[in-house]
Amino acid sequence: MGKGTDEAVRRAGAMRACWRLFVFFWGVTCLMAPSTAWGAERVYIDITQPGFVKLPIAVPDFKMQGEDAGAARQMAAVIRDDLDLSGYFKVLDPAGFLESPNQMGVLPSEIRFESWKAVGAEFLVRGQYEARGGGLSAEFRLFDVVSQKMVVGKAYDARVADARAVAHRIANEIIAALTGEAGIFDTRIAFVQAEGDAKEIYVMDLDGQNLTAITRDRSTALSPAWSPDGTQLAYVSYVEGQPKIFIANVLSGARRAVAGYSGINITPAWHPAGGRLAVTLSKDGNPDIFLVDSQGSVLKTLVSGWSIEVSPAWSPDGSKIAYVSNESGSPQIYVLNLAGGNKLRLTYEGKYNTSPAWSPKGDWIAFSSMTGGRHNIFIVRPDGSGLRALTHGEGDNESPTWSPDGRLVAFSSTREGASAIWAAVVNGEGIRRLTRLGGAQSQPSWSPRSNR
Amino acid sequence: MIHRVTAAVVWCCVLLTLTAMAGCSKKAVPGQAAYPSAATPAGPGAGGRYTPGGPIDEATWQKLGLRTEEERQRFLKEMDQFQNDDIYFEFDAYVLMDEAKAILDRKVDFLRRYPKVSVTIEGHCDERGTNDYNLALGERRANAAWQYLVNSGIEPSRLNMISYGEERPVALGHDEASWAKNRRAHFVVQF
Repeated sequence: MGKGTDEAVRRAGAMRACWRLFVFFWGVTCLMAPSTAWGAERVYIDITQPGFVKLPIAVPDFKMQGEDAGAARQMAAVIRDDLDLSGYFKVLDPAGFLESPNQMGVLPSEIRFESWKAVGAEFLVRGQYEARGGGLSAEFRLFDVVSQKMVVGKAYDARVADARAVAHRIANEIIAALTGEAGIFDTRIAFVQAEGDAKEIYVMDLDGQNLTAITRDRSTALSPAWSPDGTQLAYVSYVEGQPKIFIANVLSGARRAVAGYSGINITPAWHPAGGRLAVTLSKDGNPDIFLVDSQGSVLKTLVSGWSIEVSPAWSPDGSKIAYVSNESGSPQIYVLNLAGGNKLRLTYEGKYNTSPAWSPKGDWIAFSSMTGGRHNIFIVRPDGSGLRALTHGEGDNESPTWSPDGRLVAFSSTREGASAIWAAVVNGEGIRRLTRLGGAQSQPSWSPRSNR
Repeated sequence: MIHRVTAAVVWCCVLLTLTAMAGCSKKAVPGQAAYPSAATPAGPGAGGRYTPGGPIDEATWQKLGLRTEEERQRFLKEMDQFQNDDIYFEFDAYVLMDEAKAILDRKVDFLRRYPKVSVTIEGHCDERGTNDYNLALGERRANAAWQYLVNSGIEPSRLNMISYGEERPVALGHDEASWAKNRRAHFVVQF
């Protein structure tokens, strides 16, 4: 990564430093509370339906008051980008809009719904933005163009530097109002960045912004895994010779070795309740799966055998793990019920099925399957039914990770050359490249929902 | 008493050697330049680690019990061969093939002839599998070689293992010829 990245990292550091203050001062006000309540009663997008028509939505640039027109354009662009990534919307091109963004009004009485109907919009996001001396006041309203009513509206006070974060919040509110479930646009993705001979762990926002280095060892770091509270990343590093498991605090950068038994110490996966991890250790001579506490002490053997057992993935309730074993002669995915001890082989198609990832709602397991020399991402129900491909032979597609709402799966793909992080909508159409950096990006891990 | 003094002198020599070697610039192994050295025997008294390509000083020669120039030249030649001969595996396999066993037999001869030499066995994979599974697979490959050497009478205390999975390819192409070269166990001497 070059100068641009360094600058991005610097900016990220500065932003992180002010997060706490930011949260403290960030007041959120609901505009017209009755409308908000009304919005919650009606679900516009039934996310339980497998197929639906994407909703056409218009997001004109925010009305700008005070300084810094750039940020007003940027906020609307961030919201358009987020809504597009969600897969719920057909985001209309602002070039075709009939209204001037800085002249049209923002109040319900000022909206000319006819001109938005004319461009094909069913929903309209109208916002305004005021910057004064480093402070930012922003508000938005989401309108149902067809019924000519407001769905939801909120106002925010923040720092100008946090305009993007406010925009992600607004996109979250729009998703929440229309689907009944909060959006995921303030979550982050950790990944492995390969540059020359080194592999480092980085974290970024979903839109690739706020790139932050977690390791700077010039060694090989692998397999980042978010703690359920989103404050820590477990990962594997060769920095001390053998591959060992480390835990880094994402905010402070402090880190410590956790498991450094003889042999390999790899594939950390946090228990959904936190505090414990399932890991693969070969301390007994063979890669098996163990439960360790956050200090690395072994609490329990989860899976052992004469074959390779690796890559544990917890069910959301912590009662089961999916993992990879080659006990059949080739790597396949198994599901183990930890209470009863009964084991189910999940994959029978193909000779190379690895990297299981359990969806946050527990309804799917994503994995990577190699056939004909190519890896593709598949999803399957935890009982082995409903097998479906998410990618279709465009390069190699590996290491799936779920968004916290279970709507998207991110993975690494070589479809445009060097490996990059991509995200696909699970229940519909749409795929998006998330990283545009030098080097190669792999092994994404999607953070839990932000509680900041 | 005299015995003890001699021992002390020898120890001093060893320590001096170690200090001198630590000062030597480490020669880069192609493709591995930026990495910290692999797992090293960390037991007490483990030292006098050979730096690939570096010189071997008199104290180390003495420790190896190699006194004549002829013996030393032969050792250097055999050591090069020992480190250059990788054993290879089929895709997603860690079963030793006949050719691998023949190479391992030669390694057993070498290790018997030079009992002061320890080895780190590195397990490697090609790029096609997933990183995590390949780390486990590389471990099994190193372990297969380890088991063969131990079964042939080499003391386990002389053998270390490390898996690099697909993280340290020797061939960088994306074809079967490169992959075949990367599915290997590599052997690095320490003494």
